[in-house]
Amino acid sequence: MADSAQKEDQGRCTLNRREFLLYGGTAAVAVSTISLSLFSGSARARVVGYPRQWIARLSQLTDHQLLNFRYPNEQAQSFLVKMGGVQAGGGLGLEHDVVAFSYICTHQGGSLKGGYKAVGEHRVMGQCPLHLSTYDLTRHGIIVSGQAYQSLPQVVLELEGDDIYASGVMGLLHGYHDNLPSRGKP
Amino acid sequence: MSSNDYLPEDSAPLPPKDAEVLTTCCDYCIVACGYKVYRWPTSMPNGGPRANQNAFGVDFPTHALQPWVAPTQHNRVMHKGQPHRVVILPDREAKVVNKGGDSSIRGGCIAQKLYNPDTPTRDRLMTPLMRINGLLQPVSWELALEVAAAVARHVIREHGANAYSVKTYSYQYIENTYAIKKFALRHIKTAAFTFHDTPSNVTSTPGFRDAGFDNFAPAYSDWQEAETLLIAGTDPYETKTTLFTQFIKPAIDAGQRTIWLNPRETAGLAYAKSHGNAIHFQLYPGTDSLVLGAIARIILENGWEDQEWINAWVNNRWESSSGFGQGTRNTPWQWRTTWSKFQTDGVYGEQGYKSWLMVQPEYEPEEAARIAGVSAADIHTAAEWLARPRADGSRPKSSFGIEKGFYWSNNTGNTNAISALAIICGAGGRPGQMIGRFGGHQRGGAGGGSYPRNRSPEKLPGRRRRALDTDRWLVSGHTRFAHVIGTTWIQSMCGSGGLNAKFEELVSHNPNQIRSHDREQIITTLKARADSGGMVVINQEIYLRDPIGSKYADIIFPAATWGEEDFTRANGERRLRLYSKFYDAPGSAKPDWWIIAQLARRMGFEGFDWQDANEVCEESARFSRSSRKSYQMIMVAAHAEGKTLHQKLRELGTEGIQGPTYYNYETGELHGSVRLHDTTLTEADLSRKYGSNGFQRGNVVNKKVTHFNTQTGKQNIQKHPWSLFSDYWHWMQPRDSELWHTNGRINEVWQSGFDDLLRRPYIAQRFPENWVEIHPQDAAARGIESGDQVVLYSNRIPNHVNTIKGVGSEDFQFSELLKRGHIELSEGAVTAVAIVTSAIKKGVLFSYFLDPRQPGNILQGRVVDSVSGNYNYKIGVAKVKKIGESKHKQGFRTFSFAPRNIV
Repeated sequence: MADSAQKEDQGRCTLNRREFLLYGGTAAVAVSTISLSLFSGSARARVVGYPRQWIARLSQLTDHQLLNFRYPNEQAQSFLVKMGGVQAGGGLGLEHDVVAFSYICTHQGGSLKGGYKAVGEHRVMGQCPLHLSTYDLTRHGIIVSGQAYQSLPQVVLELEGDDIYASGVMGLLHGYHDNLPSRGKP
Repeated sequence: MSSNDYLPEDSAPLPPKDAEVLTTCCDYCIVACGYKVYRWPTSMPNGGPRANQNAFGVDFPTHALQPWVAPTQHNRVMHKGQPHRVVILPDREAKVVNKGGDSSIRGGCIAQKLYNPDTPTRDRLMTPLMRINGLLQPVSWELALEVAAAVARHVIREHGANAYSVKTYSYQYIENTYAIKKFALRHIKTAAFTFHDTPSNVTSTPGFRDAGFDNFAPAYSDWQEAETLLIAGTDPYETKTTLFTQFIKPAIDAGQRTIWLNPRETAGLAYAKSHGNAIHFQLYPGTDSLVLGAIARIILENGWEDQEWINAWVNNRWESSSGFGQGTRNTPWQWRTTWSKFQTDGVYGEQGYKSWLMVQPEYEPEEAARIAGVSAADIHTAAEWLARPRADGSRPKSSFGIEKGFYWSNNTGNTNAISALAIICGAGGRPGQMIGRFGGHQRGGAGGGSYPRNRSPEKLPGRRRRALDTDRWLVSGHTRFAHVIGTTWIQSMCGSGGLNAKFEELVSHNPNQIRSHDREQIITTLKARADSGGMVVINQEIYLRDPIGSKYADIIFPAATWGEEDFTRANGERRLRLYSKFYDAPGSAKPDWWIIAQLARRMGFEGFDWQDANEVCEESARFSRSSRKSYQMIMVAAHAEGKTLHQKLRELGTEGIQGPTYYNYETGELHGSVRLHDTTLTEADLSRKYGSNGFQRGNVVNKKVTHFNTQTGKQNIQKHPWSLFSDYWHWMQPRDSELWHTNGRINEVWQSGFDDLLRRPYIAQRFPENWVEIHPQDAAARGIESGDQVVLYSNRIPNHVNTIKGVGSEDFQFSELLKRGHIELSEGAVTAVAIVTSAIKKGVLFSYFLDPRQPGNILQGRVVDSVSGNYNYKIGVAKVKKIGESKHKQGFRTFSFAPRNIV
């Protein structure tokens, strides 16, 4: 799968990474296994304006242990998690189970810290303490039940060797009018 | 980017400092949160992130509970012909309902509802359409109205008023419903008139009506004040979100005990259980009255009932039979209680409720628990929580809230049983001790005319006539003109397959079809259709709905809706607000009141010369005086201040005022009503509302304000015999590999899918097609996994097919109808995506109630409650088998199969 995707994608990296994750369906799995080297030179261009930030080493992740980080700026609280072998949209690694999301509920900004749940094959964030929203971490943070105005923003990850980088965010972070406030400004 | 797919954006425009601000309320659930619309021309720069650059006056980024604009809360619209941006946010200044700016997912994303040709709303109806040569073609308003009026006049003259059937929404704003009722009931006087959710114009909750309870008597705060809250047939978190998050959740956090009757466990219920303060009766559909009766029995056996309340407020032997001027033979209560099936001599005595209840074998707790599939121990605990006095003699404050899962599964029996239980617990007339509906649609009905019951050919044994069952009337071939307003009629009713087949026969298969553009020829053709036993269909809608618009309508009138006209409506605590117009309706779409007025004038009816929505609202005000949302006195206050009714309502903003309203002529103050049946109101409270010398001039104080809706003003306690319903229930019980099939709303979807499922990409991605929840054991036995495509099918769908007059006392019992050949069994099938979850009871399937793509009501029995005339929509059976895997099973983008009860 990775090989065929690799062949297909070499030489025509016009589709950006976020579109892969969104449109790809099962293909997203294949794409996310491709190491960043495939896209060398174009990674930054694909997620326009977002910083590329080292987050963790894949080999050092422990199942269900949340790793906190700030992205795309010093205030934005995010987490990375390896979900015990459950495949996810945009998931990295051999099991496609490494994902990262914003910690902040997109309903009214409640913190989801402590809300990670692994129940059977399901991987859910929530309930948010404010109004009880829950999000499906295997499906790009889509609402499971609750009041959020959009999915939980997913942090786009890329793998380079053993290194995991954040390279974009899908969805507006709660509290922001723009994930990159300085975008378009000199 | 124009797409029907959800694409997460990573920025959103902020309203500039100078943006105009208008108030409105959410269009969807009955809670009706207050909203603010920020509007600015696209030529004006958007607001900036600094406090002095945006309309909120805050620096971005903001923090939890501070102002924020999600991309789904923004849209582009036309206002006075010029492009504008709008941002629609829950009102952060709100002191009532959604205090501080809370919202549901539905209201939160309501900006997506607005017509914008760059979004999936692009298919709004914008011009009148006529089916010519089988195609819906744009025509002028003039032609469409002339044809409709001419054919309507002909049908009424030749075939009688009852041949003109009006099927309309009950809720879509006072101005519209007033015009529709004035047209249909005051002028046409058709008995073939009903609302979107019932085949006949009957009370939704007969037990409430007869006990004396208004459906919407409680204030939202009563649900919070209760110490024990019984919730039947709904999870308010799913369907009345802000009622749960603002009033019930804080109560649960503070120790409120909740008792739930629901075959399914969803997020609110799971949250309550996680606090250790909840009992969940996960029962089989239709068995609620057994559980409630058993609880009542334990309370009475132990003497835990509220005797003080009963002595003061419950009708005894003499009061039960007294007429008090009106005569008991002329109350709705008596029409239903002939032969003493329900009537008691009060709680005590030989003919009292208690004596009756104690000898009914099915209300013995063990037996009730067995049939309902719940724990008898829980029944005992529930009785203690609701009524057992504390050591100091004080009583728990108990309240009771119901919704459709409950009252549409055994309509009369369930509503009688919960009324009786509430009464012995002392509920109904005090803060925190109330009973009511959690509610479906907002209350937008207005009395434009009274229903001509005596013109209905339908009659039950030994009683006065009952409102005509418009579905059976149509199926029997009596409907020659179907006027359908803002409802799909077909799929929204039960056993919808048979109804659809009849529409096809009467409309599409009739040889008289429009083939000409000539007005007179068109009229002749449609008259010939009606005269030959066929049916003409006109439809007022905002979208082309399938099949009523797409397949059957001869003429379609495009309607203007929320945000496109100033409208008035009340919420679930009778709070009246103005829903502001803030952008142009698409094309030549017009509000329904205008369409009705144009038709009426062409049919020769007088009194339809309104110039604007305010005029309609003002005319309707006097007809509201005895209703729960009486707004007559808002108009009196408005006029005293030199304003119109709409101007006054606009001034009241998102806070509005709770009906019934009063005007104090001495102080010039306008007053509302926190709750109905408020037995704690004092003389001083009342004279503050309407003056020191008794209620004066326009003020009307209905009995229900301080007492109950009965012959005496006290509560009627009624029996709830299981036998009236048990023949249907037992016949329906799953056989062979069948499972119960029930249905309901879900949090993310409100308006029958025309907004959410079809035109809101974020929601469409979450629920891209019909789905069914199935218990893991039932799924395993059929080889079904989450994400599998399944078909739900049944050949045991009962359809009551004839309009009959009841003579013998059992004539409308299901078993009798079956024996006499009035029930036809039909087949039906609908596909769905399986969600395997232990959140649903084993042996029961649960689907969304009305997916327009795969409407599940085809499986539900089209047999009305033998007493009330309502459908029991929640009662059905189906077999289920896998037919393949849906694309959602392996994909990551759509659906989620995670259970909704993870806490």
